[in-house]
Amino acid sequence: MKRIYRLTTYGYLLPGLFFMGIFTFIPVFMSAYLSLFKWNINNPEPSFTWFSNYIEVFKAPLFWLVLRNNLVYAFTTIPLSMSLALFLAILINQKMGWVRSLYRGSLFYPTMIPMVAAAMLWVWIFNPGLGIFNYYLGFLGFPKLEWLYDMRYALIAIIIMSIWKNFGYYMLIFLAGLQGIPNHYYEAAAIEGATGWKQFRYITFPMLAPATLFVFIVAIISSFQVFDQVFVMTQGGPGDRTNVLVFYIYQHAFRFWDLGMGSTLTTLFILGLLVAIWLVFRVIGRRVYYEV
Amino acid sequence: MRKIILLVTVFFFITGLLSTSEIWAQKEKSKPKLLRLTFYYPVGVAGPLARVIGEMTDKFNKENEGKVEVVPVYSGDYDPTMQKVQTAIMAGNPPDIFMVEISELPTLLAMGAVLSLDDYIKKTEKGYWEDFFAPFRENAVIGGKIYGVPFQRSTPVLYWNKEAFKAAGLDPEKPPKTWDELKDYATKLTVKDKQWGVTISGGWNDWLFEGFVRQNGGFLISPDGLKANFDSKEAIEALDFWVELKHRLKVGPPHSTWGSTPPDFVGGRTAMLYHSTGILTFLKRSAKFDFGVTFMPQKKTFGAAVGGANLMIAKKIPKERQEAAWKYIEWMTNVKNTAEWSVASGYVAVRNSAYDDPVMKEHVSKNPEYLVARDQLKFANGKMMAKNFQKVREILKRQLDDSAAGKIAPAEAMKIAQKEIQAVIK
Repeated sequence: MKRIYRLTTYGYLLPGLFFMGIFTFIPVFMSAYLSLFKWNINNPEPSFTWFSNYIEVFKAPLFWLVLRNNLVYAFTTIPLSMSLALFLAILINQKMGWVRSLYRGSLFYPTMIPMVAAAMLWVWIFNPGLGIFNYYLGFLGFPKLEWLYDMRYALIAIIIMSIWKNFGYYMLIFLAGLQGIPNHYYEAAAIEGATGWKQFRYITFPMLAPATLFVFIVAIISSFQVFDQVFVMTQGGPGDRTNVLVFYIYQHAFRFWDLGMGSTLTTLFILGLLVAIWLVFRVIGRRVYYEV
Repeated sequence: MRKIILLVTVFFFITGLLSTSEIWAQKEKSKPKLLRLTFYYPVGVAGPLARVIGEMTDKFNKENEGKVEVVPVYSGDYDPTMQKVQTAIMAGNPPDIFMVEISELPTLLAMGAVLSLDDYIKKTEKGYWEDFFAPFRENAVIGGKIYGVPFQRSTPVLYWNKEAFKAAGLDPEKPPKTWDELKDYATKLTVKDKQWGVTISGGWNDWLFEGFVRQNGGFLISPDGLKANFDSKEAIEALDFWVELKHRLKVGPPHSTWGSTPPDFVGGRTAMLYHSTGILTFLKRSAKFDFGVTFMPQKKTFGAAVGGANLMIAKKIPKERQEAAWKYIEWMTNVKNTAEWSVASGYVAVRNSAYDDPVMKEHVSKNPEYLVARDQLKFANGKMMAKNFQKVREILKRQLDDSAAGKIAPAEAMKIAQKEIQAVIK
């Protein structure tokens, strides 16, 4: 009986595994293999060169700038969009009738717009002369900035846009988590005299831990996958100040047609992401309490 | 319920099979007669140019009904087009005809992708090749062999807003002629936080920069594409002039994108604009004020690097397809169509005799500003070309951007560019 059960399990997994295999796993191993080859316009026939591509990557100053850009992006977008999402989720979890659905809808709508369309929109919002961002800044008495065209602010502009685009999805997950917390916890806490902050600290926050972990992982992955907005809004410029890892990979693989380098960067990217997620599970995952 | 789903699936599966086999059967039958060619083309500037290509191709297909049918595929702007062509070549299924940015020719040759056209050109009417403007021909030839036919071609020019000139107390009919005048006018035209004096567009700033180096009597890469010359005195001076405008005097934005600057000009954000002649039609339609077009100002001489894309034929396709592809190229570049394409697009007509075509004559008599780019050709040169040109561009643009922000001294920036670029083009 047990064996049949196991067989059917694998049977059900098979179609999924098949497609995952040909579109994900095999390419991943292929690029790990190709990363050991020199294969570009100067060397049309791939030649095996051990780890020379990896050494070249680590020796390129641009790689470190790109990595730095991406880390700045991750360390700002993740905490900011997560705390904004949590804050707003708690706010719209209050009972306030139809206003609630209005708020929920309007906060969630950026998530529903395709990223490329949103990026096109924000190119105009950030336009120094005609855009509304500078218009409002000027209204509030701030100096007007060149945003996407200024090395100092281009990455910040992309971060602002990405938070706007992403927090709605996180908010929705937090909201679902909040609605799963039984009300009698709060009633008991109220009787014991715990209010506001204490209720949040000792009931909401721990009860939301699984949702928070999930959002955290998704946010890490998406912050390293950032590409569309960079491609549309800046093409990595000015002066590579908004060049991020996936865009850097794209440049090598599809612009420079350097397939060896592209594979090397891809392999490093996957390894880095796996390590990051493993760390998160180890450090935070253990403290998460699942109510089964 | 499950049965119904199963039945529906089976039904669709079978009809699907039947219809594909029918298509196959048709293909087999018509194979000896109809050659269906794919044509990848980019559109480098704003405008409804894709429609124009479609209409012209329709006409060609009608004239060759039953024999040749060209299917034009719009493939994005220059960079995505190059990527699609390269991918198709690597996959062994190249488009029969394609148009890529002119500097990519050495890369395509290294991939063994482009057919030499000398034999075909010899067979066409006498004087056909010589009729193309000389600077346009330069980027189609390597090692004495012709690999492309000029088609979608341009040069950068300077646009100026006449009303802004009036407002700044300058003569609206007198654009700057020299670098010094440009600097002087740009300073007078700058209104802090409102209007830049002059915008040298980003995105293809590498192309515009080559023009400035030409104006200063220098060059960036030797014509054979093998020797980089970025740390020459002429190039460093040209970059220093940019830094002067963009950083020290702050009369122009240090950075911008190729697509953002034409709307900036139309919106009055900048009084003068360096951009391709290809945006002239867009500006004429959109600008609510009077503006002019002129040569890029000179230092030692007027000068420009030509730009755009040539028509090419894939090497690894059967001979009969190559012949049909040539027929299409010859047709697209005949005098009448050259004129028609130029009138519709705003690109420079690539052939001398196209300017004698009645349609063209009428067009330029009404809109003489379309002649500026052609007249500038007297002072223009071919664009730099080299293997790995995409990398060359990225390296150069990085140094241009860093210098314009004052992060690095021009001489230092050009030294880095020289070292890195020489390493990738060798």
